[in-house]
Amino acid sequence: MISAVDIRNAVTVVLAAVGALFFLVGTIGLVRLPDFYARTHAATKCDTVGAGSLLLALAVFNGFDASTLKIIALAGLVLLSSPTIGHALARAAHRTGVAPWQARKERAS
Amino acid sequence: MKKAFVAALLIVTAIPLLIGVVALPPHGDPDTPVHTHISARYLEEGREEAGADNIVTGVLLNYRGLDTAGEVTVIFTALMAGLAVLISHKKQPEGDATYDAAEAAAEDAPVRAPVSPVVSFVVRLLAPFIALFAVYVIVNGHVTPGGGFQGGAILGALFIALTIVLGRERTRTLMPRLAQPWMQGAALLTFVGVGIVGGALTGHFLGYPAQASLHLARELMMLVLEAGIGLGGAAVFATLFLQMEAE
Repeated sequence: MISAVDIRNAVTVVLAAVGALFFLVGTIGLVRLPDFYARTHAATKCDTVGAGSLLLALAVFNGFDASTLKIIALAGLVLLSSPTIGHALARAAHRTGVAPWQARKERAS
Repeated sequence: MKKAFVAALLIVTAIPLLIGVVALPPHGDPDTPVHTHISARYLEEGREEAGADNIVTGVLLNYRGLDTAGEVTVIFTALMAGLAVLISHKKQPEGDATYDAAEAAAEDAPVRAPVSPVVSFVVRLLAPFIALFAVYVIVNGHVTPGGGFQGGAILGALFIALTIVLGRERTRTLMPRLAQPWMQGAALLTFVGVGIVGGALTGHFLGYPAQASLHLARELMMLVLEAGIGLGGAAVFATLFLQMEAE
């Protein structure tokens, strides 16, 4: 018999797994990708989708009370601030002349 | 000559500190006051005695209030040292070795670009929430982790973000020239003020009235201290940032 608690736990597990996966991929990308822009792109995935779904998982697991509202507010903050920071980093790098990586250039040197 | 003087000063400072370290009881010694009664007393009586639900705040502002006053002095001294370095760096005459380094850094410095509309919008959108959160952290340090130091850091960060987005001309009004020195020294001044009030009430500098009937006075003294620490900390961040940005 599948109860409401089972469904809630299943949703929590799925959301947490998605969050963990994004953190893993983002962290690998941060280390492995070739240039600043690609690395920024990987790192901001961790904070938006990764942290976002982990927080949602916590909110679902917690049920509905005051802490859940706080968690959702936190997720909203992360979803708002993290892309902004990624944008600001990439823009600053572009403005100061950080050249994007190109496959051709690497072969030539 | 200057280096020798600095080295001598460091050694002279290090010797009493090292003597102090040698005199410390061995790590984890069960006979030290911490393990025999102090921790237990803090945990058992701290809430009533110190007047804060958050034991850390109680220890920080009441039991170890003088320590925290010292800490605040350290931060204020660090601000003065930072300003001294930043200002003297700027006035260094040409040809000096340290000036060359500064000049080279200035040449490599990024060209200032107009602020991104995305960053500007998000900062302006979040600013009131950040300010509210900072005040919450300062005031609620009584009950939950937080307090003046943490809240002050948030306020300072908010000031820096606003300065980047709105420009220093507009945020400067938050720190009027006349009020500036008072804000920078706010933490220290609050400690002196509350310390004297405590002295008038109990006879000890920074003493807290122990009577149960004066619970409100204890809480009020702590709140004033937290607010002072928060304001002072934020002013330290803001001042250093403005000075660095002016270069």
